[in-house]
Amino acid sequence: MQRAEAIGAARDGPLRGTHNRHWRGTRATASSPNRVMNQLKLLLAAGLAAPLLATAAPGAVVTTPQVRAELVAHAPEGIAAGRPLSLGLKIEHKPHWHTYWKNPGDSGLPTTLAWTLPAGLQAGDIEWPTPSKLPIGPLMNYGFEGTLLLPVTVTVPADFTADALEVRLRAEWLVCKDVCIPEEGEFALSLPTQAATAGDAALFAAARASLPQDVAGARATAAIEDGSLVVTIAGLPPDWQGRALTFYPETPGVIQNAAKPPDRWQGSEWSARVPLDPQRSDSPTTMPVVLAAEGQPAGLRVQVAVTTPWPAIGAGPAPTVAEVLAPVPAPAAPAAPTVGLALALLLALAGGALLNLMPCVFPVLSLKVLGFAAHGSDRRTLLHGGLAYTVGVVLSFVALAALLLVLRAGGEQLGWGFQLQSPAVVATLAALFTLIGLNLAGVFELGSVLPGSVATVRARHPLVDSLLTGVLAVAVASPCTAPFMGASLGLAVTLPAWQALAVFAALGLGMALPYLAASAWPALARLLPRPGQWMQHFKTVMAFPMFATVIWLVWVLGQQTGIDGAAALLALLLALSFAAWALGSPTLGARARGGFGAGALVLVAAALFWAVPALRHEAAAQVPGADEVWQPWSAERVAQAQAAGQPVFVDFTAAWCVTCQFNKRTTLARPEVRDAFAARRVLLLRADWTRRDNAISAELTRLGRSGVPVYALYAPGAAGPRLLSEILSVDEVQTALSSLPPS
Amino acid sequence: MKPHRLATALATVLGAAFVVPAGTALAAAVGQPAPAFTAVDTAGRTVSLADFKGRHVVLEWVNPGCPYVRRHYDSASMQAAQKDATARGVVWLAVNSTAEDAGDYLKPAALAQWMQAQQAAATATLMDADGRVGRAYAARTTPHMYVIDPAGKLVYAGAIDDSPRASLAETPKAGNHVRAALAESLAGKAVSTPSTQPYGCSVKYSSM
Repeated sequence: MQRAEAIGAARDGPLRGTHNRHWRGTRATASSPNRVMNQLKLLLAAGLAAPLLATAAPGAVVTTPQVRAELVAHAPEGIAAGRPLSLGLKIEHKPHWHTYWKNPGDSGLPTTLAWTLPAGLQAGDIEWPTPSKLPIGPLMNYGFEGTLLLPVTVTVPADFTADALEVRLRAEWLVCKDVCIPEEGEFALSLPTQAATAGDAALFAAARASLPQDVAGARATAAIEDGSLVVTIAGLPPDWQGRALTFYPETPGVIQNAAKPPDRWQGSEWSARVPLDPQRSDSPTTMPVVLAAEGQPAGLRVQVAVTTPWPAIGAGPAPTVAEVLAPVPAPAAPAAPTVGLALALLLALAGGALLNLMPCVFPVLSLKVLGFAAHGSDRRTLLHGGLAYTVGVVLSFVALAALLLVLRAGGEQLGWGFQLQSPAVVATLAALFTLIGLNLAGVFELGSVLPGSVATVRARHPLVDSLLTGVLAVAVASPCTAPFMGASLGLAVTLPAWQALAVFAALGLGMALPYLAASAWPALARLLPRPGQWMQHFKTVMAFPMFATVIWLVWVLGQQTGIDGAAALLALLLALSFAAWALGSPTLGARARGGFGAGALVLVAAALFWAVPALRHEAAAQVPGADEVWQPWSAERVAQAQAAGQPVFVDFTAAWCVTCQFNKRTTLARPEVRDAFAARRVLLLRADWTRRDNAISAELTRLGRSGVPVYALYAPGAAGPRLLSEILSVDEVQTALSSLPPS
Repeated sequence: MKPHRLATALATVLGAAFVVPAGTALAAAVGQPAPAFTAVDTAGRTVSLADFKGRHVVLEWVNPGCPYVRRHYDSASMQAAQKDATARGVVWLAVNSTAEDAGDYLKPAALAQWMQAQQAAATATLMDADGRVGRAYAARTTPHMYVIDPAGKLVYAGAIDDSPRASLAETPKAGNHVRAALAESLAGKAVSTPSTQPYGCSVKYSSM
């Protein structure tokens, strides 16, 4: 192998050397601007002189003040078709200087190699070794220090018969310490084809040993959640499991490089929540990623499939009302929404009609409607009035829904996650339901959003008057309807905008319906019950379902945070109840209210002080889904069982999912279903999503679902699972099982 | 309506009402309001982003010690972009976030002198030695460029141009992202390339 020291070949070598001396100089003389200017002039002169030096013939080595770079080769059997040939650029960095990986991180540029080879010879891409993290202040780069070899594999054609192989290389690298210097070099090397070139065998072997290895059978997915990439990688080798991993994406400009993403191991599966760069410049559907572990010279290379759509870069934060209200097709809305929507509309209609029975609505309604029958006025006028009233009510409800949707859009922009998997959300929900229940039970009262006198406002035109009456009915009735409206508003948040509006319109229509019916057929009015004490009873009775809901929520929270969290929540609810009574009881005098109220607020503050840390605490690792028959799910267990020819049934469930619990206690608990599973030797796995679990989230996304329940039956050898319906019937399970190949 | 869906929905509303956004300051994001800032320029004047409401503002992270910055000034392409922009009523703020203890820190007078020697046409050159402005914008490199529209929204963040490896002679011919973003935004259009990977030297932040 030929080697020649040829400093002159590096155009930037001497020039950048001058720069560097200049920078060192400025440290001492930064206080003298004139001196700086003089040095800058000197520097310019050096820049002009540099190209003159570049004419010297290139050799195999380029030396700059920061690196010594050398073109090296490895051809242990000589050079011919079918024999191994590697070329490479060896970079020896001066201490603390570094060059960059293919993704340089926050700054920097990857080294590039441009080869000039005889016709027919092909140089491959750089086989990048596993990089290191190089922090610079708040920034993070990925690169290399010390001695580095960037090898490429060269293929030689059969007709290559020259005595020597002439190699030319033009390389560019950016070398940085606290300052950065772009450098480049021209290299040349002549290799004998009939003799072995193996002087750098150890160097090439070391580079090969630090080349990231592809993992056969690794399954890697990523989903975008709240500005983070939730990465789940299953099927990693056993000797890697449980180790601390560093995540290096090969795609630049996607993640926050300096962040330390929270991660965890579950068996052979590693998951991490990697924050996305708010100034992200790329949206790859597949991200090649290198995982590195301390003490492992070579990382692992996996292809991460991004399963959720990327949000548009630079999408505006504050959508206009028109944008919010535009029909947005829910992304990957899997569970036939039409059935759900029809049922929701029907329930809303019934709920709206029920609102009329509340004590602050019914007496008014009753009086008005009885008036129709008594006056027996023109049917046509009555009907028109009824229709205008309906329009007024429906418009008020739709306006409320629109307001909510705008708020929702704002909340999503702030990255609020609306999920029952968060203990804070469950606790908040429990607090709200407690207050609703107390309100219904009469412990405290809410004021109307409008003074009662407004309700008597009249418009001249009878139709406008009826319309206003409709709007006012909604507003004046607010003290009684608020609890129910809360529930409906909640529903609206998870639906696409047009469905939410439809549900609210149905709610309004339901509320207006008795009035409308009575205006069309005044005789109907006689069928209405008379106002009376029963209305108060009705209201009080409605408090109990609310408290039942609180029990359920406390149970869910107990699953998430353990008995301490549940107790803290109950204490908080008690303090809140006391405060609601002290501040809102209609029977308390002003002085008593002041005294009790102050005490109550102190109590609430104390309860919050206790509850907030307790609610953050996660329950000790327990597997609520596991019993003697059901085992905890992992993607690997599914794969193992399938490979072993055993069918698998997976129950994706969560404590807060009522449908899931219903199916679990009915269909899945039936002896005939259990027997059918046993007869077919089905492995029963339960994936419990009560708390946020990246692996389960990723699997659900893979199955095209966004929520639970999901029931998946994997037949041995089948490509994908068969998904059963969400309301699981015994017949359906048995039919699905009978379709399995006989074991 | 499936019961669990209803419950999730309820949680949503309540979550929206009660959950307080985390206290950590978020870095500037494209499409979002640009973070407000106030800094002192090389002449000692106080400059606030809010002073320029209703105008386009370009932020340029600068450090004369960085070879990439010098390439864009030595080739006169940065000054040309500054002149074209300011001639169209755009405010151009050069920001130097180099820490005082960094080797290539320049005092305000020296930085002003350098900018003057370059015949730079920036509206003002801001001193940000404590890195407050740089961190708010997550500026990583010199140069690192940002374009803010008259509504105060960040419409471009990233590299000055599409040619990180261009030579001095090629630099003026590179596709300049800032010129393109300004042209589109001044014409009332959305910026078609709102974000690119910046290149250059690392910003030498102070260890705050």
